[in-house]
Amino acid sequence: MRAALEVESRMFRALAYLRLALVTWPVVANAVRHTFDHPVAAWCCVGLMVVWTFVAIWLYAAPERRLPALLVVDLGLAVAMLVASPIFKGPWYHATLPGYWIIGALVAWAIRFGWTGGLFAGTLLGVVDLLCRSTVVGTDWGNLFLLMLSGAVVGFLCGSLQVMAAERDRAQHELAVAAERARLARAVHDGVLQVLALVQRRGAELGGDAAELGRLAGEQEESLRALIRTRRPAASAAGSADLAAALHGLSGRPGVEVALPAGAVAMGAERVGEVVAAVGACLDNVRTHVGADARAWVFLEDLGDAVELSVRDEGPGIPEGRLAAADAEGRLGVSGSIQGRIADLGGEARLRTGPSGTEWELVVPKEQP
Amino acid sequence: MTDPIRVMVVDDHPMWRDAVERDLSAAGFEVVATAANGTDAVNRFPAARPNVVVLDLQIPEPSGVEVTATVLQHDPSARVLILSASGEQDDVLEAVKAGATGYLVKSASREELIEAVRRVAAGDSVFTPGLAALVLGEFRRMDREKDAPATPPGERLTAREIEILKMVAKGMGSHQIAEVLVLSHRTVQNHTQNVLRKLQLHNRVELTRYAIEQGLD
Repeated sequence: MRAALEVESRMFRALAYLRLALVTWPVVANAVRHTFDHPVAAWCCVGLMVVWTFVAIWLYAAPERRLPALLVVDLGLAVAMLVASPIFKGPWYHATLPGYWIIGALVAWAIRFGWTGGLFAGTLLGVVDLLCRSTVVGTDWGNLFLLMLSGAVVGFLCGSLQVMAAERDRAQHELAVAAERARLARAVHDGVLQVLALVQRRGAELGGDAAELGRLAGEQEESLRALIRTRRPAASAAGSADLAAALHGLSGRPGVEVALPAGAVAMGAERVGEVVAAVGACLDNVRTHVGADARAWVFLEDLGDAVELSVRDEGPGIPEGRLAAADAEGRLGVSGSIQGRIADLGGEARLRTGPSGTEWELVVPKEQP
Repeated sequence: MTDPIRVMVVDDHPMWRDAVERDLSAAGFEVVATAANGTDAVNRFPAARPNVVVLDLQIPEPSGVEVTATVLQHDPSARVLILSASGEQDDVLEAVKAGATGYLVKSASREELIEAVRRVAAGDSVFTPGLAALVLGEFRRMDREKDAPATPPGERLTAREIEILKMVAKGMGSHQIAEVLVLSHRTVQNHTQNVLRKLQLHNRVELTRYAIEQGLD
């Protein structure tokens, strides 16, 4: 946001010089031609243009003063000058009173409101110019066309510059965050994590209360690791997330081991959320039916346009007919949260169960088919 | 009685180094050297002649990956067991490409560590599910690279190797895998070793290709 505003301010500073150049046109051209029906009123208009030029430069200098009202007044004055031309110069005038001065308002609209604003201001000025003339020749039509074209083009360029500046800012910010995270990760790795891992290991060997301490240290080690884990940011397309990083978060659960490929696995953020929820439901199932400390393995494979996941445990297996029974009773258990979710994503959930364990295999396309 | 297995422990954290050394000594291994950084590790390796190097990847320069490559170049019969934190997966993959044949996370128990050193010393490979997933992901990535020259068949995984790798990634031990596939435990081990060999081979081919491209040949 700040970057976009800086670009806008820069454009308005440039416009200030353009306005100074443009205001010389009505002054010099009218002094040379001096073909007025009402000279006093006409020169008052020129004076107004000079005064407004300086007032406008001052008003546009501060971002908080660039309100729609200011732009409406700016454009309104330009239109008024065009309308005044046939009144003060007589109906058979050739050049308008303001001449190129109206470009100032046009460019202000283009900077502030993008290509739509520029196109609108250009069209309005061009049409008013045509309506005020008693006779319309070919070049007048050309003027309308040029005003519309330049308004849209300048507006589009300003909009693009703002978008690019915002993107550059975001990229720099992400880089700084990643660098800071890497620095923290190094510091934490050299100290805290090593000690936590050691406490976990020694605790398990000593047994008793120490084992409990060790287990707690292990959990904290895992969650701290997940926190500082640095991954290349997934393709920075909006709404994209890294499935591998999201799944790694599940390794904080006791007994759960998560096996992932190197690097990011980019998918739509919503799809990532659904997949992680489905895997979480599989793990909940393990905990409920096998035991709170039951070991479970999550394995992710990136197949290019789809991902394959496996959630395996070594419990006694799911008795035949239990899933169907739960489904028939209307309980939103396994079928709802796992199969339903995966089916909604256009994927497939397969269950293999037996006395030596249970395995869910989920295949999910990266994009909705 | 055969000679005890000679082990070298490389870790920059003194508490860890001592704990690992103590555990290994107590289990009957001979800890012939320790080192706190890559330079010491490389310098002490030739004189100590360990059978197994238990190596932390996050050590002061040169890195664990470079140490792996250097010591194996010096003595190809030595084995490298990576004992590392679970978050450093890219480094682990690089170390395996450089020739390490085992990987264990630091939160593993003492029994697991001792068993791993024993197996690596015997020429087996020690795979965690995490490493299997990394290696499989690496082969998948190679297959997807469109602009790269096609991987020759000798460097590609066979269907059986992929099957076994997937089972390891799902947390199954080699005995379990042997039972499910009706193979001998030895055959399963041979398959996983082949996978590592292919990965290292591919890595060497890549490096050579890179060197030729850059005009360094």
